[in-house]
Amino acid sequence: MATNDGTPIASARGLVKTYGTGEAAVRALDGVDVDFGRGELTAIMGPSGSGKSTLMHCMAGLDRPDEGTVVVDGLEVSAMNERRLTRLRRDHLGFVFQAFNLVPTLTALENITLPLDIARRPVDRAHLDAVVQAVGLADRLGHKPTELSGGQQQRVACARALVSRPSVVFADEPTGNLDSTSSGEVLGFLRRSVDELGQSVVMVTHDPTAASYAHRVLFLADGRLVGELTDPTPDSVLAALSSLRPAASASAAPVAVAAADGSR
Amino acid sequence: MLRVAVRGIRAHLVRFLLSLLAVALGVAFVAGTFSLRTMMSSTFDGIVDAGTPGDAYVRAEPAEGTSVVEGTSAGPAVPMTLADDIAALDGVAHAIPEAQGSIVLVGADGTAVQSTQAPSLVFSYLPDDPSLDVVAGRGPERPGEIALETATLASSGLEIGDTTQVVLGGQLSDAEVVGRFDMGAPMAGATLVVVDPGTGYALFAPDGKVADIAVYAADGTTPAELVDAIAPLVPDDLQVVTGQQLRDENKDAIGEMLGFVTTFLLVFAAIALFVGAFIISNTFAMSVRQRMREFALLRAVGASPAQVFASILVQAAVVGLIGSALGIAGGLGLVQGLKAVFEAMGMDLAGDIPVDGATIGVSLVVGTVVSVLAAAVPARRAALVPPVEAMRDDVVVPERSIRVRAVLGALLTGLGAAAVLAAVLNTGEDTMDAALGAGAAGVLVGVLMLAPSLARSVVGALAWPFVRLLRPVGRLARGNVVRNPRRTANTAGALMIGMALVGGVSVIATSAQASVAGVVESQLHTDLVLQSATRDVPKGAIADVEALPEVGGAAAFAFAPLEVQSDGDGAGTRYVAGVREDLFDRTIDAETVDGDLGSLADGAAAVQEAAADEAGWAVGDTLRITGATGPRDVTVGAVFTTNVIGAPVVVGTDVLDALVPPEQQMVDLLAVDAASGIGVDELKDAVAAAVAPYVVISVLTQDEFVSSIADQVNQVLVILYALLGLSVVIAVLGIVNTLALSVIERTREIGLLRAVGLGRLQLAGTVTVESVLTAVFGTVVGLVVGVALASALPSVYADDGLSELVIPWGNLAGMLGLAVVVGVLAALWPGTRAARMRVLDAVSYE
Repeated sequence: MATNDGTPIASARGLVKTYGTGEAAVRALDGVDVDFGRGELTAIMGPSGSGKSTLMHCMAGLDRPDEGTVVVDGLEVSAMNERRLTRLRRDHLGFVFQAFNLVPTLTALENITLPLDIARRPVDRAHLDAVVQAVGLADRLGHKPTELSGGQQQRVACARALVSRPSVVFADEPTGNLDSTSSGEVLGFLRRSVDELGQSVVMVTHDPTAASYAHRVLFLADGRLVGELTDPTPDSVLAALSSLRPAASASAAPVAVAAADGSR
Repeated sequence: MLRVAVRGIRAHLVRFLLSLLAVALGVAFVAGTFSLRTMMSSTFDGIVDAGTPGDAYVRAEPAEGTSVVEGTSAGPAVPMTLADDIAALDGVAHAIPEAQGSIVLVGADGTAVQSTQAPSLVFSYLPDDPSLDVVAGRGPERPGEIALETATLASSGLEIGDTTQVVLGGQLSDAEVVGRFDMGAPMAGATLVVVDPGTGYALFAPDGKVADIAVYAADGTTPAELVDAIAPLVPDDLQVVTGQQLRDENKDAIGEMLGFVTTFLLVFAAIALFVGAFIISNTFAMSVRQRMREFALLRAVGASPAQVFASILVQAAVVGLIGSALGIAGGLGLVQGLKAVFEAMGMDLAGDIPVDGATIGVSLVVGTVVSVLAAAVPARRAALVPPVEAMRDDVVVPERSIRVRAVLGALLTGLGAAAVLAAVLNTGEDTMDAALGAGAAGVLVGVLMLAPSLARSVVGALAWPFVRLLRPVGRLARGNVVRNPRRTANTAGALMIGMALVGGVSVIATSAQASVAGVVESQLHTDLVLQSATRDVPKGAIADVEALPEVGGAAAFAFAPLEVQSDGDGAGTRYVAGVREDLFDRTIDAETVDGDLGSLADGAAAVQEAAADEAGWAVGDTLRITGATGPRDVTVGAVFTTNVIGAPVVVGTDVLDALVPPEQQMVDLLAVDAASGIGVDELKDAVAAAVAPYVVISVLTQDEFVSSIADQVNQVLVILYALLGLSVVIAVLGIVNTLALSVIERTREIGLLRAVGLGRLQLAGTVTVESVLTAVFGTVVGLVVGVALASALPSVYADDGLSELVIPWGNLAGMLGLAVVVGVLAALWPGTRAARMRVLDAVSYE
């Protein structure tokens, strides 16, 4: 995982995903080819309805593409049945969601070790301590989620995503509900996990500042990959985004209609 | 708003199904109980009407004072000759002397014709008796002829013209079936036989006295005129009443008895409705929570809180009405099924299922009101949430504190326990029964209120093995169960009540069983015990057994209900036992409190200590015992205690025979000893062969007798287990409902767990463990309460024969096992539902 030999950690070829049928059909992904670099923090950006969340869900085995293949760390995700998908998520992937990341009945520590508990794998104490240290939660481990602030909850979620040494961590708007200070902590931690632990992270966001923490930013519009940016800054991301809009409408695919499909 | 409410139900029909089912179940019990009661009382009223169709009756004055023997009179006392005098009066069509006894009728298959609880009765056939209607063949005219009631003939398998055997007046004899008669109403399974008047009156009115005389008026004479006409002929110790009065008295007595049964059933209906209300409340809480945004929208476009409140209550009322309608149909179906079961057991009940307006009205109102009340709390919550609050992402519904409830519960439990303790410490005082009952009720209700506070610690302890063994399923499940202790406690409530009842009664039953067995083993010394299924060992069989060479001695325990009068206590009907004078030397170890049991041989009476205390009898007092042959003064020779004999007054056989002709005594037990040199097995074979023709007699060794008592206790337990089955069904519904609710509430959490790798089986396992924990929690708390309360009884009622405390650990373990099964069953649907959720949908669920 830590060896960066140039092969992508996750890649997709020819992804197509359509929601609904007939007149109401929305082509959320319209033939996407993408590679995510090993040991990199990759951000996916795009306006509402661009298909960025759908892309991440398909990559993470949470959703099934209609066409195309997804390969994560050498495993073909798109060919897996439900049971293998569950095992893939458990053993090879980490997740950070926008909200509701933690099981309210478990303490912070129990939440962090939950994937290991589910897999019945022994806890690697040293690694756990390193992760906990990194998120700065050593003194809050015995608390229930309701006793933690929003930022602390997201940091617990990050620690949980990292503790099982996954091939890739998928983060879906991880700072969407946080103030800027907490966002900075969470994003800084995600970036450090890449730089110091060699973790691969894929993050969906619509916040240019968040995206600027990434090594590389991919831009999606109307279900297609429309551009990318390496070593971004908030300004360069913003500029790319604003240049994207006219380009996107110019290259509008016949089926794709801007839909109020924000959640997807 | 009405349209919104109704559309809401249609859109979420499945969600309301459980509520419908719950209401329907509760209402089915209410409707079923009432219509069963109506049906049974119309059956018994029909029997009363058919059995006492006369316009006037001459009978003995009912005894003054307390009658301790329900439904018995002081024995036949009306001279038969009076009937001839009455018949000669103007305006009298017939005057029929009525006397009846018990009979054993051997059916076509060689066994006794008998249905579970109904009696086998025989009476004389008089051709002019209007209450009997011979519909086939003819009435019996000579000794050896019998006629059977239509249902009796059918269940006996005999045909008119067949010859069979009967045990009549204690003697086995052949009898020819010559006819079939009707009583004008289904007789609820009673075996009814008539014999010729000569035989009948000789047996049941040997001294020329009968129980009563039925008088039928000629056309044009009213019952009141008839009574006035007869009155001058009636001696002072007899009275004449109209037929209507007698029928009303009898119906009242039956009504009282049925009222008890009804109350018992209604308690279970109340439990069912309580759980139903809880299910409805849960369902609406779930529905309200999911539709917060809808309500916010309604509020935003101008609906008032009252309108939101009302729209939810309308939904509840619709659910209540439909559920009640289903419940009424279900209840009537239930009664129809019961009727079929009774009929299969040979017990005919009258007519159709009664569908009366009162039953339907009460059931509809109960079901609807319970539904609306149950929905009121969540409806209020929905109405009061401000629109802005509901528009937010996470609607936090604050849980009310359980502290007040816990304090009240603890207080009530403490008071109840104190009352029970007082009863244990002050045994023998009259008020203590009430204290015990109230205390037990207090503890049960108190623990129900305490249950939410108990949930955390008890479930925590119960969950320990799951947490250790099933990682992470056990810990997740424990967290879910204790997350909302109030809901967990309410869900487990039905099982708690049911298990408390069953736990308590099984402790009492097994303790009683052990106590009786202990008494039999230590106090009754005999080789064989003979008992009859009719509760009356035929005199002929006794004679046959006594005549056997293998028999060294036989002691019959004969009884008759007689009027016993003393200076201290006035008069009352009590059972008087007649035993062999040397019984206490040979067969029974009794504890003599005062006097000398040997005085039985001198014609004195021995009285039980408990009865003596109550009535104020002491050695040397004189009891006036009135039997069929008139009064007789007997001196109290001894006060004693034994649990072998139930009757309060014991006299020698000779004394009892002098009071009551042997034909009218009941022998409920015959103790037989072997002659010297004869083994018990040999004795048993000989006795069994001798009594075989009497069909109904069981011959038991002492060990077998003890285990037959155990069987009787087990029969009581079977009825209880049937009721337990009911509370289990209700509990399953409640748990299913709660789990379904919490699965929906936890959709996002479930999505998260699945996203981080929890497998479907593990998820279903979590729901199952939750369910099992809830069920076991209810069971454990219920059993602890029931067993603890029941354990107090042996110390309170040691004097009444409940001397030993036995806790049936096996049964209790079985109950726990049942709870696990209940938990697994209840988790099937919600668990499957949770496992089928699509991860992505769950994660992005709002």
